[in-house]
Amino acid sequence: MYKKNLLLLLLIACCLLLAVPSVKAQAPSPEDMSTQIRDQLITNIASRVAQLKLVEKRGIIGVVTNVTNTQITLNDLQNNTRFIDVDELTKFSDPNASGAFGISDITKDTNVGVLGLYNKESRRILARFVSVVTNPVIIHGGVSAIDSANYTLNVATEDGKQVTVDVENLTKTYLFTQKTDYIRSGFSKIKVNYNIIAIGVLDKKDRNTLIATRIIFFPEIPSSPKVNSSLENVQK
Amino acid sequence: MKKEQLILYFVATFFGLLVAGIAFYFFQTTKTVPDNTVKTVVLASPTPTGSPTISLTLDQPQDEQVVSNKVLIVSGKTQSNAVVTVITDTSDDVIVPSSDGSFSTTVNLDDGQNVLEVISIAPNGESMTIKKTVTYSLEEF
Repeated sequence: MYKKNLLLLLLIACCLLLAVPSVKAQAPSPEDMSTQIRDQLITNIASRVAQLKLVEKRGIIGVVTNVTNTQITLNDLQNNTRFIDVDELTKFSDPNASGAFGISDITKDTNVGVLGLYNKESRRILARFVSVVTNPVIIHGGVSAIDSANYTLNVATEDGKQVTVDVENLTKTYLFTQKTDYIRSGFSKIKVNYNIIAIGVLDKKDRNTLIATRIIFFPEIPSSPKVNSSLENVQK
Repeated sequence: MKKEQLILYFVATFFGLLVAGIAFYFFQTTKTVPDNTVKTVVLASPTPTGSPTISLTLDQPQDEQVVSNKVLIVSGKTQSNAVVTVITDTSDDVIVPSSDGSFSTTVNLDDGQNVLEVISIAPNGESMTIKKTVTYSLEEF
């Protein structure tokens, strides 16, 4: 009985061994070929779709912290370090440059805008356009002092800074109240402790002075409690 | 090896394990821990922090977004009695949110990168700011 079973098992094993090469030797039928091509196409399309989803257009602004021939490192508006890849297709520009402008002209501490392809996986941007940009500075705080003779204001910010705001002839001044809404106003209407937003550029000679292009003040809203506490700390 | 012998081995092993398990259980339950080895851990209550009275969220636009339309919708939510200021490089707008705190306005973008700053100011002067970069470009790449 045992011998019979053993023989039967050996026979089945031999049959299987003989059958495998015959299956392998079979030429693929046209149906199999078309299935293979279809599967390959599906794989290729899926891979391309994944690639397209992985990359998207993005534009960022930041201050250059390091620059090499192939990479720019930036500190963006959220104070994050960003890595920008540069290749032969990347175009560089500076509105103030007289001649040709390239990566060699970009130096540390330059404020640049980058437009390119952001890779979600590597979190890097392949730059297509890099340009030097100048963005206005926005100061928000409370009016701590007014110098009517020189048309300047002192604005205390929440982080404890005191910025001198220079009001020029070209400075547009607006006020906002619930009653009047958002209307044009003037320097003389600004009072101490008003909540204020000043937009402009920093004076090249004195980085603590803002030459205002626009001012918005809120007579109904006092300066922030944080501003007051920071002012008290400064006075102490 | 006989079948009966094998069964006997298994039964003996089973009973041996059972007796050992019961003995271990009784040993664990009757064991007493000296008081000096018991430590009481008291979790310190978290230091209370001043919760901000103002909140601000922006639904639109997304940060670092690239758009092909010069007119951009800015929308979000803050507290209903706040005043919202939307500032771009060249323009600004002050709006009052609706009763549920939601607000929406449109701003005009310049070519290239635009910094959009939204400041929500509460009646007591407290404020919250969100800064985003939006790029207007028609370049294909």
